[in-house]
Amino acid sequence: MRISIVFADDVGSQLLHGIFSWEFLQFLVAFVSFFGFVLTSAALLVLAERKVMGWMQDRLGPIHTGPWGLLQTLADVGKLLLKEDIQAGQTDKALFILAPSVFLAPIIAAFAVIPFSPYVGLPGTALATGIVYYVAMSSIDVIGVIMAGWGSNNKYSLMGGLRSAAQMISYELPLVLALVSIVMLTSVLAGGNSGIGTISIKEIMDFQNVWPAKGVGIPVLDFIFQGFTPWAWFFLVQPLMLVIYYTCGLAETNRAPFDLPEAESELVAGYLTEYSGLRWAIFFLGEYGNMTIVSAITTYLFLGGWSGPGVNYLLGLGALGWGFLGNLLAVTYFITKVYLLCFVFIWVRSTLPRLRADQLMQFAWLILIPTTLFNILITGLIYLVISSFGLGGFTNLVFMIVIAIVNWAMFFAFIKIVQRATTATTRRAQAPAIRAQLRASSGAQLPERAGVPGGQ
Amino acid sequence: MAINQDTNVNLMEEEGSEGIKSQEMLLNMGPQHPSTHGVLRLVLKLEGETVVDCTPVIGYLHRGIEKILENRPVMGGIRYMDNADYLSPMLNEIAYAGAVEQLMGMEPPRRAQYIRLLVGEMQRIASHLVAVGTYLVDLGAFTPILWTFRDREGILSLFEALGGSRFNVNYLRVGGVLHDFPKNWLKECEAFFDQFEKNMAELEVLITGNEIFEARTQGVGYIDQQQAIAYGLTGPMLRASGVNWDLRVNRPYMAYREVPVNVQVRQEGDCYARYKVRMQEIWESIRLCRVAMDKMPGGPIGTRTPIALRPPRGETYFAIESSKGELGVYFISDGSEYPWRAKLRGPSFVNLQVLPELLRGYKMSDVVAIMGSLDIVLGEVDR
Repeated sequence: MRISIVFADDVGSQLLHGIFSWEFLQFLVAFVSFFGFVLTSAALLVLAERKVMGWMQDRLGPIHTGPWGLLQTLADVGKLLLKEDIQAGQTDKALFILAPSVFLAPIIAAFAVIPFSPYVGLPGTALATGIVYYVAMSSIDVIGVIMAGWGSNNKYSLMGGLRSAAQMISYELPLVLALVSIVMLTSVLAGGNSGIGTISIKEIMDFQNVWPAKGVGIPVLDFIFQGFTPWAWFFLVQPLMLVIYYTCGLAETNRAPFDLPEAESELVAGYLTEYSGLRWAIFFLGEYGNMTIVSAITTYLFLGGWSGPGVNYLLGLGALGWGFLGNLLAVTYFITKVYLLCFVFIWVRSTLPRLRADQLMQFAWLILIPTTLFNILITGLIYLVISSFGLGGFTNLVFMIVIAIVNWAMFFAFIKIVQRATTATTRRAQAPAIRAQLRASSGAQLPERAGVPGGQ
Repeated sequence: MAINQDTNVNLMEEEGSEGIKSQEMLLNMGPQHPSTHGVLRLVLKLEGETVVDCTPVIGYLHRGIEKILENRPVMGGIRYMDNADYLSPMLNEIAYAGAVEQLMGMEPPRRAQYIRLLVGEMQRIASHLVAVGTYLVDLGAFTPILWTFRDREGILSLFEALGGSRFNVNYLRVGGVLHDFPKNWLKECEAFFDQFEKNMAELEVLITGNEIFEARTQGVGYIDQQQAIAYGLTGPMLRASGVNWDLRVNRPYMAYREVPVNVQVRQEGDCYARYKVRMQEIWESIRLCRVAMDKMPGGPIGTRTPIALRPPRGETYFAIESSKGELGVYFISDGSEYPWRAKLRGPSFVNLQVLPELLRGYKMSDVVAIMGSLDIVLGEVDR
C-alpha cells in the first residue's frame, strides 16, 4: 500500500512537472500542428490537384462552390459526412471497419518525426530514431490496405489489396537503401568529431548548412545565408537518390503511375471498391497524408528542410518577437517546399499512364534495388580512396565534389539504362510479331473480289 | 440463356504441396465497369492475374435499330442510323444513303460527293480521337482524353453549324445532303484544321514517345495477318496486322474515285500498332479534308428525290470504310415506302469476336489495354 502511494505520489509530481514545462507545451503544439496539418493539407491538396490538373488539361476544374471553387473540398467533406454508411453483405465486419483506421493511424504517427520549424516539432532527442521510425510507420500502411482488400469480400478488392501488398513491400527496399546513402553522407561529414552519422531528420538537415555558426560579419550576407546554403543541399550530391526515393514514394503512396492497387480502369477502385462515405474519406485522407509525408521527408533530406533566408539570423537575435517571426518564416519555407514536391506528384499523375503489375515488380527488383546498392558501394569506396590520400581538412570537400560528379553521371546513365531496359523488354514482347513478319515478308494482300456491288 | 452461362464454367482446382487449394477465379467484368466502353460484359476466368479464358456477353444495349429501320420510311431511317455507331454518325448515314442510292441506280452530284467526303473524314477524325483518348484512360493517363475531346468538340461545333445538331447530325439525304455550307463555314474549317494540327503534334509528344505507354502496348494483344483475315477483321485492326486493305482504295465509292488515299499499314500487329495506325489515319484524314476543301466543286448539293421515296424492288449491299472498319448495309426493298429489311454489317461487332483469342494468356491489366485497342462501340455491336 505504502509503496504504491509513494509511487503514485512520485508519478504525480513528475506529471505535474511535466505538464507545466515548456517541453510539454511544445509537445502539445507539435501534436496539434501535425494533426491539423494532415487534415488541412489533404483538403488543400485535393483542391490543388483538381485545379492543377484542370490547368494542365485545358479545363477549369471546380468553379461553382465559393469564389473560384475554393469551397469545393468543404462541400465534398460535408457530402461524405452525411452519406449513408454502406456495408456490403458477407463482408468480414471487423476487418472492414478497422481497415481505414489501420491505414490512417501510422500516417499521422509518421508526422511525429517531422519538425515544422525550429520550435514546432517534438523537442530535442524525442525521436532521434528519425528515418527508421518513418520507414517503420510507412510499412504498417500496407496492413490496412490488405485488411480492406480481404474484408470487402470482393474480387476486385482482393486483387487490389494483394497488388498493393506486393508493391509496397517491394518498393520499401529501394526506398530505405536510397535513404541509407544520405545517412552515409552524414557519417562522413561528422567524421572529424565522431565518425558516427545520424538518422535524426533534424540533424540531417543541419548537415546541409555549411555557413559558419557565428556568421561572417556582413549583416546582409548573414541574413540571407545563415542556415541557408543551397549549394550544400544533398540533392546536388545525390541527385539519383532523390529521384529513386521520390519514385519509391510514388509507389508507396499508390499514386500514378504506380496506382495499380486502385487502378480505376482495371479494378474499378481496387481495395476501395466497397467503401463509401466517411470510411472512404479516411482512406482518401490517408493517401494525401502519405503524399505530404513523402514530400516532407524529401524536403528535409535533400532540399534543406525549413532553411531559407532569414530564419537562423532572426532566431539568433534571441528576442521573442523576432524568434516568432523566424519560426513563421521557417514554416512558410517548409510548406512551400512540400507543396512544390506535391505539385510534382500531381504533374506526374496527369502525364504518365499506368505500369503493369509485372513491369512494376521488374522495375523495383531489377533496376532500383541494384542501383541503390551499387550507389552505397560506390559511396563507401570513394570515401576510402579519398581518405587514403590524406588531404587533411579538405577530405570532406573533395569527397563531396567527387561523389556529386559520380552521382550526376550515374543519374544520366540511369535514365539511359531505364530507356534501354524498356526497349529491350518491349522488343522481347514483340518477338512473335517480328518473327511472323520475317516469315511473311511480302505483306499479304486480300484478293480483289470481282462482281461485288460497290466495286468499280 | 446467355446471361447464366457463367454457372456452367468449369473452374480448375489444384492442390499445392502443403495441402493449400488454389482455384481459378471467375471475374465478372462489366456490364457496369469503367473501361468496358459502354455495357459490354466479360466473364473472365483468371488464374491469379493471368487470363485463362474470356467470354464476352453482349446485348445490353440492344435497341432494335434494324427493326426500327423496317418501320420507318426510307428517308426517315437515316436519322436512326446515327444511333448505331454513335461515335461516327456521319459515316453511318453515308453507308445507308449510299445503299439506297445504289439500289435506285443513281449517283449524287459531284458537290454532294465531296461534301460527303469532307464530313466523313471529319467524322473519322472525331471517332479516332475518342478511340485514342479513351484508350489512354484505360491505360491510366487521364490527360489525353480531355485534349482529344477538346478537338472533337471543334468538329462537333462545325457539324452543328452544318446540320443543326451536334451528335445525331441527320445531315445526309438520299441523293445528296440536307444543306449547303453556311457562310464562311469552309473558312472556319480551315482555321480549325490549322489549330488541330498543332494540337495533334502536342498530343503525339505526350503519348507516342512515352516509355510506359510503349511498354504497356508493344507486343501486347498480338494477332498475325492470317488470323486477322480469318476472323474477318477490318479497319485499323486489320491494317495494324500488316494487311493493306482499305475500302476507300480497294473498292472506291463516291468521291474516293477521284481523291487517292494513302493507306496506313503497320506490320507489328499489336496494340501499339493499332494506336499508331489510328494516329496516322488522323493525319491522313486531315490531308484528305484539305484536298476536299481545295477541290470542292460547284453545282447542286443533291438530286431531287420525292419525300415518300420508293426504291425499286430488289436487294443490294453497300459498304464503306467506316472509322472502325467495313460498315456495310444490306438493303432489301419490296418497292414500298418502307425497307423490307436493312441489315447492318457492323465493324465493331465483327472485331469484337477476336477478343477471347487476344486475351488468352495475358495479364489482367492487359485486358483493358487490349480491349481499348479494339475500339468497339457497343451501340453498334448490339444495335
